[in-house]
Amino acid sequence: MKVKAKLKNGVIKVKTMAKHGMTTFNMMEKKTGNREDANFITHITGTINGETVLDLSTSQFLSKNPIFKFQLKGETFKKGDKLLISWVDRKGKTGKGKGKIK
Amino acid sequence: MERRNFLNVTLGALALAVIPASVKAEDYRTTKPAVWSAHTVDDAIQAMYGSTTLIEKGVSLRAPDVASNGGAIPVDFSTDLDIKSIALYQDANPEAAVCVYTTNKYSINNYSVKIKMGKSGTITIVAEGNDGKLYAAKKTLEVALGGCEG
Repeated sequence: MKVKAKLKNGVIKVKTMAKHGMTTFNMMEKKTGNREDANFITHITGTINGETVLDLSTSQFLSKNPIFKFQLKGETFKKGDKLLISWVDRKGKTGKGKGKIK
Repeated sequence: MERRNFLNVTLGALALAVIPASVKAEDYRTTKPAVWSAHTVDDAIQAMYGSTTLIEKGVSLRAPDVASNGGAIPVDFSTDLDIKSIALYQDANPEAAVCVYTTNKYSINNYSVKIKMGKSGTITIVAEGNDGKLYAAKKTLEVALGGCEG
C-alpha cells in the first residue's frame, strides 16, 4: 500500500494505491470455474493520530491495484503527522500502509 | 430465531457503545449486504437509503466520454453539500454498487477513484445529505474494451 499526503493551503491531498488483484466473480468463474474464488478489497479505513479520516466500503468493480484520491481539511493536522491506511479483503486478509504528511 | 436476533442487536449496540465516536467506522458490506448484491442501480439505492427519489443537482461528476480501457476508468466526483455519505453506482456490471464513502468531520468531499466497467453504461453518484435528501449526478459513457471479464 502506497500513501502520499500533501498539505497545501490548509488542504491535505491524499493519493493512495493498494496492491490487490480485485478479481470479480465472473473473472474467477472463467479462470478457475469457481465464483467463490473472487477476492477484492471490501473495506478501507484511514486514520491520522487516531482520528478516522477515511471510511470506504468497496466492491469488486474497482480497478486492479485501485488508486484512491481524497482530500481533508488541514487545520487539525500538521506536516509530519502520519496517515495510516488499512484494508481488508473478502477472504479476510488485511494490508496496511502509512505516509507522512508533507 | 428471535433470540438470535435479540442477541445480535444487543451485542451490536454494546459494540457501538464501547467504540468511541472518532474511530467508529461503518462497514456497509456488513450492515447493508443487500446493497452489494443488487443487480440494478435502483435496487441498490433502495437497499442503501430506503428511497429512490434523487435530486439531480449539487453533485459534480467527471468521467471520460469514451473509455478505451474498461479495466480502469478514472472517475472524479465532488460536492459542497453537507452530506453523510457519497456512493458510486453503475449499470454495466452484474452488480450495481462500486463504493460508498462515509464522510467525517475532516472530509472535503472531493474524490477520485478508478473503476471497472464490463460494457458501456451509466455511472450514478448519490450523495446522502444530512437533510435526508438524496442528491445525484449521472453520466453515460462508452466503453471500448470491457474490463470485467479479462
